[in-house]
Amino acid sequence: MTTSTPEPAPVAGAARAPAGAARAPARAGLRRLAGWWFPEIPLARIALLRLAVFGFVVVDVLWLRTAGWYHGYADPTWYEPLVVGELLRLPPASVRLVDALRWGCVGLALAAMSGRFPRVLGWGTAICWGWYQYVAFSYGKVDHDRADFLVALFVLPTVGMAYLSDARRSQAAGFALRCVQLMAIATYFMAGVAKIRFGGWEWVNSATLARAVIRRGTWVSEWMLDFPFLLHAAQWGLLAAELASPLIFLLSARWQRRVVGLWFAFHAATYASITIAFWPHLVMMLSFLPLESYRDTVLRRWRARRAALE
Amino acid sequence: MAAAASSRSGGEPEAVGHEGSVLVLGRRARAWRLALAACLTVGYLAGTLVGNDHWWPLAPWRMYSTSTAPTGAVSVPVLQVQVPGDAMWRDTALTPASIGLTRAELEGRQDLVLRDPSLLGSIAMTHARLRPDDEPWTGVRLVRRSTVIEDRSPTGETRERVLAEWTVLGGGQVMGP
Repeated sequence: MTTSTPEPAPVAGAARAPAGAARAPARAGLRRLAGWWFPEIPLARIALLRLAVFGFVVVDVLWLRTAGWYHGYADPTWYEPLVVGELLRLPPASVRLVDALRWGCVGLALAAMSGRFPRVLGWGTAICWGWYQYVAFSYGKVDHDRADFLVALFVLPTVGMAYLSDARRSQAAGFALRCVQLMAIATYFMAGVAKIRFGGWEWVNSATLARAVIRRGTWVSEWMLDFPFLLHAAQWGLLAAELASPLIFLLSARWQRRVVGLWFAFHAATYASITIAFWPHLVMMLSFLPLESYRDTVLRRWRARRAALE
Repeated sequence: MAAAASSRSGGEPEAVGHEGSVLVLGRRARAWRLALAACLTVGYLAGTLVGNDHWWPLAPWRMYSTSTAPTGAVSVPVLQVQVPGDAMWRDTALTPASIGLTRAELEGRQDLVLRDPSLLGSIAMTHARLRPDDEPWTGVRLVRRSTVIEDRSPTGETRERVLAEWTVLGGGQVMGP
């Protein structure tokens, strides 16, 4: 990475002007595409997003997704290796392995939150958390909300050093943030594609949400079983929203934040209805928010309040 | 984290985005990043279009993707156990903290249980390791409990069927598919 600006393109000669003119729109398009992939975003935003991501790893392995740890106690017969486990010859879980992975995640993530050695500690956390998820998913059930978070864990360290007080902007930061945003939205879009692939277009007219409420319903949702058209309509709305989700990249930053707010509301409703939350995915959706501006606003208000009290 | 912040600004967060320098990527740095993005795109698209759960982390996002017939039955697996001196089968919590597996995992390996019902005995052993103070289980059986629905709404009728059973004395046996 350098701090210089790119050199200006050489000026085309007069004899080649027509060809150069023809190529100009193509070059402009490429520049726009490059600008989209490599926006110059504040490094402070990456530092804050990393805090959220690595902080989440600690909360996740200790409290949120603990099923993998219990696999250390399950009989190895229940182990069903996934492709990646066969390639890397990963063993079935044991108590020693799950303890090492759990506390390895906690130690590495806490160290990564310090901001020091961002690549080593960041990728170390990614490998450890990824292996821990593998242990969780190789016993007959794969959760589909966690692969995107793995991308965030691997991509964020590529930015290198980023400080909470950083005043610099960076294209590497922009690329990492773009990857996190794309993966977060791809989760919705590809969930929509999977519904069409596995459930067919008739998915929207099936009883899939009714089934979810019967199996995992709460008092918030069970009354809806008496009004089946509500869940039926929700299926149409959900598939439409998932397939339309990539349109968020065509919106202004303000409208992107509003759409993210709607998705957060959707996830809150899902949790209240069937107690399923896609926690890591919610952390990734923070990548659409100007975290450093929020932080500055909160600090400014807090200082003003403290000054008023003094 | 506080150390990282204060090393540059004495702990005072600065406003970001004005007068700060911009770190620009060179051609090679851009190229490998774009190649990485292309690989991820191809991998996840392939997983979504032709992959299965075994491809994780490139598995398709198929949670709640199957179609449930509006009229039919919605089934959940239930685990029932016996304890010494009591012939009654009772429902037990199907949680990782109790049996080392989740309900969905047991459901996902149902075929394995039907091929080898003695595996239910390993659940009793896992329970004894995780909950040594509880009474040991002398029998474990896998039950399918179904709620009948008509036009996406429960009729109130439920059905129950024992799929496989294991007891200390009788070993494992398949009761029905």
